[in-house]
Amino acid sequence: MAPPAQAHRSPSPSQPSGKGEVSDLKSQLRQLAGSRAPGIDDSKRELFKKVISYMTIGIDVSAVFGEMVMCSATSDIVLKKMCYLYVGNYAKVNPDLALLTINFLQRDCKDEDPMIRGLALRSLCSLRVANLVEYLVGPLGLGLKDNNSYVRTVAVIGVLKLYHISAPTCIDADFPPTLKHLMLNDPDPQVVANCLSALQEIWSLEASTSEEASREREALISKPVIYYLLNRIKEFSEWAQCLVLELVAKYVPLDSNEIFDIMNLLEDRLQHANGAVVLSTIKVFLHLTLSMTDVHQQVYERIKAPLLTLVSSGSPEQSYAVLSHLHILVMRAPFIFASDYKHFYCQYNEPSYVKKLKLEMLTAVANESNTYEIVTELCEYAANVDIPIARESIRAVGKIALQQYDVNAIVDRLLQFLEMEKDYVTAEALVLVKDLLRKYPQWSHDCIAVVGSISSQNVQEPKAKAALIWMLGEYSQDMQDAPYILESLTENWEEEPSAEVRLHLLTAVMKCFFKRPPETQKVLGAALAAGLADFHQDVHDRALFYHRLLQYNVSVAERVVNPPKQAVSVFADTQSSEIKDRIFDEFNSLSVVYQKPSYMFTDKDYRGPFEFSDELGNLSIAAESADNVVPAQGVEANDKDLLLSTSEKEEIRGATFNVSGYSAPLYDSSAASVQSELAIISSTSAGSAPSSSLAIDDLLGLGLSAAPAPEPASVPPSLKLNSKAILDPGTFQQKWRQLPISLSQVYLPFLTLILF
Amino acid sequence: MPVAASAIYFLNLRGDVLINRLYRDDVGGNMVDAFRTHIMQTKELGTCPVRQIGGCSFFYMRISNVYIVIVVSSNANVACAFKFVVEAVALFKSYFGGAFDEDAIRNNFVLIYELLDEIMDFGYPQNLSPEILKLYITQEGVRSPFSSKPTDRPVPNATLQVTGAVGWRREGLVYKKNEVFLDIVESVNLLMSSKGSVLRCDVTGKILMKCFLSGMPDLKLGLNDKIGLEKESQLKSRPTKSGKTIELDDVTFHQCVNLTRFNSEKTVSFVPPDGEFELMKYRITEGVNLPFRVLPTIKELGRTRMEVNVKIKSVFGAKMFALGVVIKIPVPKQTAKTSFQVTSGRAKYNASIDCLVWKIRKFPGQTEPTMSAEVELISTMAEKKSWTRPPIQMEFQVPMFTASGLRVRFLKVWEKSGYNTVEWVRYITKAGSYEIRLAS
Repeated sequence: MAPPAQAHRSPSPSQPSGKGEVSDLKSQLRQLAGSRAPGIDDSKRELFKKVISYMTIGIDVSAVFGEMVMCSATSDIVLKKMCYLYVGNYAKVNPDLALLTINFLQRDCKDEDPMIRGLALRSLCSLRVANLVEYLVGPLGLGLKDNNSYVRTVAVIGVLKLYHISAPTCIDADFPPTLKHLMLNDPDPQVVANCLSALQEIWSLEASTSEEASREREALISKPVIYYLLNRIKEFSEWAQCLVLELVAKYVPLDSNEIFDIMNLLEDRLQHANGAVVLSTIKVFLHLTLSMTDVHQQVYERIKAPLLTLVSSGSPEQSYAVLSHLHILVMRAPFIFASDYKHFYCQYNEPSYVKKLKLEMLTAVANESNTYEIVTELCEYAANVDIPIARESIRAVGKIALQQYDVNAIVDRLLQFLEMEKDYVTAEALVLVKDLLRKYPQWSHDCIAVVGSISSQNVQEPKAKAALIWMLGEYSQDMQDAPYILESLTENWEEEPSAEVRLHLLTAVMKCFFKRPPETQKVLGAALAAGLADFHQDVHDRALFYHRLLQYNVSVAERVVNPPKQAVSVFADTQSSEIKDRIFDEFNSLSVVYQKPSYMFTDKDYRGPFEFSDELGNLSIAAESADNVVPAQGVEANDKDLLLSTSEKEEIRGATFNVSGYSAPLYDSSAASVQSELAIISSTSAGSAPSSSLAIDDLLGLGLSAAPAPEPASVPPSLKLNSKAILDPGTFQQKWRQLPISLSQVYLPFLTLILF
Repeated sequence: MPVAASAIYFLNLRGDVLINRLYRDDVGGNMVDAFRTHIMQTKELGTCPVRQIGGCSFFYMRISNVYIVIVVSSNANVACAFKFVVEAVALFKSYFGGAFDEDAIRNNFVLIYELLDEIMDFGYPQNLSPEILKLYITQEGVRSPFSSKPTDRPVPNATLQVTGAVGWRREGLVYKKNEVFLDIVESVNLLMSSKGSVLRCDVTGKILMKCFLSGMPDLKLGLNDKIGLEKESQLKSRPTKSGKTIELDDVTFHQCVNLTRFNSEKTVSFVPPDGEFELMKYRITEGVNLPFRVLPTIKELGRTRMEVNVKIKSVFGAKMFALGVVIKIPVPKQTAKTSFQVTSGRAKYNASIDCLVWKIRKFPGQTEPTMSAEVELISTMAEKKSWTRPPIQMEFQVPMFTASGLRVRFLKVWEKSGYNTVEWVRYITKAGSYEIRLAS
């Protein structure tokens, strides 16, 4: 555990070192400590403020600990609070002095004012000194029984704090059962909510060592507890509601009636002003209905409106959080959102993180009826000032082209991009044209005409250059100048910084050679010679390989380099469906924003090169080097590489890294990129993930027993959801069925979608 | 866990810590340095409000000249974290009386520490309701009812309120004059294509309320929304009165609104908090009345001259006025000289945003002023095609007009003492993001 901030932070140079000030403060505090003059509190306050403000800016004021404690004998509540804050901050590094404070804190814990009792108890638990825990047990026990709810809320969290300082003390004092009793009986909803937070944490941490704790943890998602909490849901604060809903999402109801009862009860939560509550409710709905295909789809229809409202209100950050969730839903069921595509149009001033998500959603929802509008809109963004977004939108156009059948108009647009004479636009468009040609070879005629007119001097980006070279090689029979362009490129071999481009150049020259031998022979010789002399291992090896292949047998070489090609029907998805399901299971959390399951960013093993170290300087270098690894990883086998290059670089990196990390944690991410690329392909093809309910259980760490929590033998009659809801389950279902279902003809893909 | 925040930092734009509160020990103390080196001092700032550095995630938001950073070490609930920050800032504002910026934080840091202690405990959000917190954390601290004058207000009562069932209102309020102010504030968002067709248009509205009512009043609000009216005519079994009805795409309510009753009877009934609050938010996409039509023509005359003509039509009632109308027409960076002719308001060239800015302070309905401008450009060879033609943007406020057509039909106040109340209703429509693209 790390020490508190102030103790180890050296003051920044712009701030005073504070030595003189601290000794000054010390003597002043001393003078005030014993004084009982009227108005003394005001001068104490000024001094305390000074101490706190020094503490805040990082000056070490732990030297005045003793004096602060002496001054703490006061009835002034603000003074007390400042003193508590100070003590909480420095007790850990001054355990001996902290002992001094125990006395007055314990006394305050018995004050007649519940406010002071609460504050003192909170501070007492915040001292974080292991050898003082014995002093905590008594006051905490009293606090949990206090007749004032404020003190109880503080005490409950205090128990959790105690657990983190010394777990055995907390368990031995039998606090968890007490909390459970409070949770199920306390009239105050905040006490209940805090008990729930504390118990969830304690039992999750205990579960690995204690059988009983893991049973208790599962009991939290048992019917009696869930129903009890649901029946009180309206009393809870918005934050506590999130907490409860999160728990309900883990509950596995017995039958569909129960599901409808819960949904009926929670439906009005979708109108809550707090976006977090709405998202939590959505999570409950989605998870409850996972096994009910038609209702699940109705849930999507039902939550559309609240989600779109949340996106359009609040700060950009808040709408980003919601948009990330909308994004994952759109990706799962694009056709449901197909008619709402206009909501994903970007506004000029929106931050780019919002635009990026919107572009992806626009791409996903494109279908026969809206493609024209969407592509027109995307073309607007291609001229955007924000270059990354402009690039992204061109890529989006390409992705739509690759997923549509009628690409006529889109190809025209892409060709227009090539003529826009902006370097980055040309570069992105070239990459896309290449992918298009691999899927729709029939378009080669139109495309090649335009591509042929692009001067290779204007293309600098490795990816784009590689794409251009690939096309030169592949279509050299249709392009008059192909051998000569390749020749001039080969002449500049030395100046070409990217190994990827040089690899492609080698292959293209080979291809061209078999199609137009007389014109290419000279270039081939030059290219092979340059390749053999190349310092890059891969380039060297490939040149050597070609050289030997040609020596061995020219016709075999032709079959290797220029085999008859089949058009690519579907480009491999870079993220496995298993990972996507994991993310979906972790709906309403960071996983959705990062677009990766939580183990990838919370588990140390998966975090990879971005390890946090105290030497911050190293970190940025590590991050940079990680970026540099990417091109090297990308230049593996020729066509397999192309297969993956449709998606952006980051995705590849993420995915290769992810999959290697996930499926075979043994190997290092930077090595063995071939395997991991293969792993992607295999994991997508064999992407039949375990059934989703299992995935949920697994997620919760309930891997041990996938069976539902020990079910009470006979459900007591009291265990019913309040009948406050206005509709009986039958009419409720009826109502849900009435919701419009868009595009029911695309019903089948949806089915498969949610089964996975 | 929704949020178990490990720490919260308030930084100024240079990255100095104004206030920090470490709630948990599971993150290192140098977290703020990580934020400074990896986010603030890089281009990353503003590219994404959620960032992972090491094992921790940083959520950050800029509010005026302050960054608020929440650090978590687990898989936290993002929406919850941002909402927490927004609510916390609203709370601070209600204490400072308005602005929330670096100075306000420096001047009130003791108070903020007090509040941070109460609103979050060990990383879990607690009570953020200003109404309740103000009962026991007062700006004068020492004058707090508990410590100096415990006789004024009995202590247990106040703390009971902290966590009570009607958490947003305390009992025993008395006003000499019982008044309610309703503000319907709509912001209209428009995205118009260069061909003059509406690509996207919606209204996000909110109803703000200011209540000065005694006791525990029960309020009921009626709007001319379609579902509500239909339900009403059903209940009273008589046909809906003619007149415009509004179809709300979606509504969200303040926690005081009885949602069960809204779902069954479609009426908005509630016990309001004291003072100011946001009663509801809604969104409308159908049948939006755009207050302004913008008709731009931009001609490039050769390489160094442009002619810009813009006509604005106000399509609201002739008796109404729009206020503070600003039209920003983008021009290329290499603009050298401009000359204007306007039939109303004033126009000038603003080089820092590369826009012609045309301002009309008071803009009557059913009029159509025009602006024509000549723009001379410095001729450059390199940047011949670099002008991306950003959209025209517009700002305005139209009082007593709602773009959605929403109207308050009634506001009933019922309290057991049966006092009379005065209700005030205002409407205003503002420009949200009002963009008109230019033809290229």
